[in-house]
Formats: sequence, C-alpha cells, structure tokens
Amino acid sequence: MNFERKLNRRSLLKASAAVGATGLASVSMPSVLRAAEPDKPSELIIRAWGGPWVEALKNGVSDPFTEKTGIRIVHDLTEDNEIQPKVWAAVAQNRTPPIHINWDTTTNATKSALRGVCEDLSDLSNLSGTTDLAKPVGVEGYPIVNTYGYVYVLAYRPEAFPDGPPKSYHDLLDPKFKGRIAFYNDGIGFHFPAQLAGGGTLEDIPGNMDACWEFVEKIKAQNPLLGEDPDFVTWFQRGEIDAACTISTNALGAKRSGVDIAWTVPEEGAKFDTDGLWIPKGHSESDLYWAREYINSALTQANQQVWLDGLGLPGVVPGLTPPEGLAGDPSYPTKPEDFERLIRISGQIQVENESEWFSKFKQIMQG
Amino acid sequence: MRRYKTSYPISWRFMDLLEAGFAFVLPNGGGRLTPYLLLTPAVLLVGTLAVGLLYIGDSSLRVLDRTTFLFSDYWTLENYQRAFSESFTATIIWRSLAGAVIVTVVTLLLAFPYAYVMVRTSSALLRKFLLVALFLPFFIGQVVRAYGWLIILGNQGIVNDALALVGVEPLRLLFNYPAVLFGLVQYMLPFGVLMLAPALTAIPEDIEAAATSLGADWVRTLVHVVLPMAKPGLIGAGVVVMTLSLTDFAMPAILGGGSQDFVANAIYDQFFRTSDQGFGASLTLILIAVGSITVGLVFAVFGAGTLALGANRK
Repeated sequence: MNFERKLNRRSLLKASAAVGATGLASVSMPSVLRAAEPDKPSELIIRAWGGPWVEALKNGVSDPFTEKTGIRIVHDLTEDNEIQPKVWAAVAQNRTPPIHINWDTTTNATKSALRGVCEDLSDLSNLSGTTDLAKPVGVEGYPIVNTYGYVYVLAYRPEAFPDGPPKSYHDLLDPKFKGRIAFYNDGIGFHFPAQLAGGGTLEDIPGNMDACWEFVEKIKAQNPLLGEDPDFVTWFQRGEIDAACTISTNALGAKRSGVDIAWTVPEEGAKFDTDGLWIPKGHSESDLYWAREYINSALTQANQQVWLDGLGLPGVVPGLTPPEGLAGDPSYPTKPEDFERLIRISGQIQVENESEWFSKFKQIMQG
Repeated sequence: MRRYKTSYPISWRFMDLLEAGFAFVLPNGGGRLTPYLLLTPAVLLVGTLAVGLLYIGDSSLRVLDRTTFLFSDYWTLENYQRAFSESFTATIIWRSLAGAVIVTVVTLLLAFPYAYVMVRTSSALLRKFLLVALFLPFFIGQVVRAYGWLIILGNQGIVNDALALVGVEPLRLLFNYPAVLFGLVQYMLPFGVLMLAPALTAIPEDIEAAATSLGADWVRTLVHVVLPMAKPGLIGAGVVVMTLSLTDFAMPAILGGGSQDFVANAIYDQFFRTSDQGFGASLTLILIAVGSITVGLVFAVFGAGTLALGANRK
C-alpha cells in the first residue's frame, strides 16, 4: 500500500542543524557567484489564492523577495483548478506559461508532475534544511516542493456541544444536527475518516471503499450543507451550522473574525495534506533561475514564520514558532504523536482515484 | 430634398457603401456576390463554433490515463459508456431537463401578462416603469443576482426576518431544487418578456376590439385571439428560456449549494476539478444533444415560431 498513516518527524529534528548551515552559506555567498546570476526579469507571476491567503504569502515571501532582489511579484488570483489547463496547454504548445510559479494543492500539482510539465527543484539549496514533509509522496524527485501541511479538522460550535467536543463523526448522526452540519461538495477531506467511521480500514483504500460510502449514506440522511471554503466561514459566522469537516485555516479564519468556534481531530482521524510551489516548464533560463530563487526563499525559516503565521499552519522548516493559541493544537502538528491520528494518502493514489471518489460522493449526496 | 435624405435610414446608407465597396473590389459580378459576402461574418462565427465542436468531439473519444494525465492516442467510446452507466449522469440530466421545462412554463406564465401590459398600456409612465424594471436586471450579472438571493433568502435574510415577526422559526429556503428554479425564473423573466413583446406588438389592437364587439369577453379574446396570434413569440421565448436554463451553471452552483448540480456543473468539474477533459467533452456533447432534441421536439409539435419566417410559420 502506498499510504502513510504516520509521518516520521525524526528527520525534522535532524534537519534543524542543516538549516543553520544553509543560512550561513547564503549569507557568505561569494560575490563571484552573485555576479554569475542571470539577468533579472522585471516581474515574476505567482498564482495564489485570494484574501488572507495571498496576504500571508505577500507578507511572508513576496515582499521580502522583492526587497532582496528588486523583482516585482505579481499575484495571479486565478483558481488553481482553472489555471491548470492553461498551463498544460502552454507547455504542450511550447508557449510561455501564463505564470512563473503555481501555489497549488499537492494533489493538483501531482497531476502536473505526472504529466511532466514541472521543472525539477531537487537541487534547491534550502531543501536540505527542510523536513520530509517538503517531499511530495508518490512522485520521483521534487517536481513540487511542499511548503506546509494542513488538517481537515472537525470544526464545531462549542455551544452546540455542551458535553465537550465531538469524539467521533458518529456524533454528527444525532438528529439534533440534521441540516446543521457541512462538508465539501465533493467530500474532499471526509472520504478517509468516513472509511474508518464506516468500519473499514485505510489499507483497503483505494480498492474497497464500501465502508466509506455506507457512512456517507448515513451522513446524507442528516441533510448536510455542501460548500467550498468561503461557505464554511460564512455559515459558522451566521450560526447556520454546528459542525463541519473543513481545513483548519477556515476554522481559524472564522475564529479570528470573532466567531465562537473550536476544532478537533475525531477518533477516526483527519486527513492531512499539503500545499506546495512548482514551476511550469517553458520559461527562459533567467526567469527559471529567479523563480527557483523565489521558491528557495519560501523555504527559509524567517519567511516561513511570517507566511505561515498568517495561515496558522505548520511549515516544512524546523524551529518555527506556532502562532498564538495554536501550540499543541491538533491542527498544528509538530511532534510524532501529533501525527498519529492524521491520515496521509499518497498524492498519486489521490489523483488516480479522486474523480471516482468525487463522483460517488456526489451521486450519494445528490441522488 | 433635404427631408428625403434625412428619412433615408443610416443602415441603408451603410449597405449602399458596402455594396459600392464590393463592386469596387470585385468589378465583375461583385453585385451578385454581395449577399453572400455579407453572410461571411455569420458563416465564420458558426464555422468557428463548428470547429470547436469537432475538437470537443475528438476529445470526447479519448480517455485520460491517470498515471500520466495524458489522453489516449486512439479513439474509444469509453467516456460515453461511463456517462451512460453512472447513475449520477442520469440524475443531473433529468434534473436539468425537468428544471428547464418547469422554468420555461413558469417564466412564460409570468412574462406574458408583463409583456401584454407593457405593450398595451396607454400610460406612458407605466410603460417606462415596466421597461426600466425589465432592463435593470441586465445591468446586474447573474452571479451577483444569485448572491443577492443568498442574502434575501438566507436563514438571517429578509424573508426569514419577516417570518420571525409572525412567530415562524427560521426556514431553510436555500440550497434546494426550488431555490434553483426560483433563481432561474427570476433570471429568465426579462428574456421571456423581451422575446414576447414584439410578437404581442404585432397583434393589431383592432382585432381584439373586433372580438369584443362580437361578444367575446376578455377570457375568450385571450384564448381564441391573442394566444394563437402570439404563438410564434411564445415558442421563440420558450426555446430561448429553455435552452438557457438547461445549460445554466451559476444558479445551480450558488443557490443549489453543491447539492443540485446541473449538467454544466458536472462539465466544469470534469474540465477543471478532475482534469478529465475527455469525459467533460462527452458530457458536453450529451448536453448539446439533449438540448437539440428538446428544441427539435418543440418545433415539431408547435412549429418553428418566430425562427421560421414565411412558409413554415404556423
């Protein structure tokens, strides 16, 4: 089976020494090497998600990069799903891709890697200082560099759970939650916990997911709301839902906007996934060089700290300080034991099967 | 002389200019070719669509290899087999088709009296008001309108606030099939009125007066005089509203809340979410086929309406 239930964090600790060494190396880079730098482009185009996501990237990575190099960073806010066919078409037709760097989900990026449209990033100098989380699972080398992880937590309104946080997804089957729970409209983040909640095992993924679909059928009877990231924040803000399987950043966003909200990892576990950065093939040598430098700078401790403080997510560089209130939080795993109940399935298995999973989930929910 | 020049329509002058231009470029027989040359933009436009359809047809016959995310070099009917074997496809096709029919019927029922009053009223003020109310929605995009309904019909929206005043608990008015149909009717109503108004304008008021003078009350006049004469407009409006509803994306996505997908939403998912353009292309062609067959049936049963000029018009 190509899945990992637990993440090995030992390399995280081992790598901390390397970070210091890398930092020293960059500071003391000989001027002769700097002179060998290719011409600087006037700007680099980075695809990003909007709102607080792009703000965090701007503060943490883009602005420091511009300050250091003088290269202007333009953030293209086209959805990652929608930029993908444009990039693929450009590479296939030997045209210059519309973006220099894609900030992408690792699952989507894996499709591009399998298709062979990603530049290899294996020799980025700062990679040596990262944890094994930076390495994409299921593909050779580093066509993508993962930059942080995130958890699909079970977010809830404490007021609706007076006896304490929900322990299991089975708790959501209580009739009082009918019409007051929410999931992503394709079920992403919920398939794997549902497999366990339905009595199945992770070893059966992807071959036999009957247990997952049986549990989804039970959840459907609860008439859940189905939406996307912004919907969850809105629904929690308006008090329209009591619980949702969602990315922790959304729950944190709602909390930061004043909503009384908490989150937990239920006994079935929670899907753990990553986002990353990658460069499409087809750029000039100089543009490629500086795009690689941008990604390299996103892997420094200083930049990761600011960037991921904005997102409330754990990074891939050792020694980061959790944002206020997130130390020891299940959505901010750092220690090996934090990962025991997190489920990580290889990107390759996900991209090979997600179409079928999405379709099956929709069939049940909309049938 | 001056008055004659003024009354000569500008469009005619433009056509004269074009004709002179063609005659200059093609002195031998340029005049005979003029009508065909004037058709060129339309032919190019339709031709572009046809070429696009050929590409989509080609894509629909190629399967995605999920280990490389490249499409097969060979043609196969696998995407169509998958589309017809997955029950979800049947669900969304029936939902889209039923929705289009319901929206068309309701829209025509609402559009007809609106258009009739707008055409027949003797009050210039009322006509202007109806025209402004008709065109105002066109300045507001479909997505913005859908989000407007989210605010109005939400749990904490105006409707639920009003219901709370009479002691009714908040109702979930959104994210269901009726909400999608409601949004579509609201979106389609101006199209329906605009298509119906010219047909009603073409009915001389004298004929209605004649029916009344012969003893018909307004109901009999409506049923036996106005509706039959307005049939071309009703069919034209019905076809436009039905095809637009059948292929709509935004209302099912926003007011359906991810639980009431139409075919267009499924196509989007395949093209952009799962990157399976081949399967998306097969769904696209199935949607085109369903739409074409439906419109063909309407024409077969009711006649081609305003779209058929002259002899075929019933």
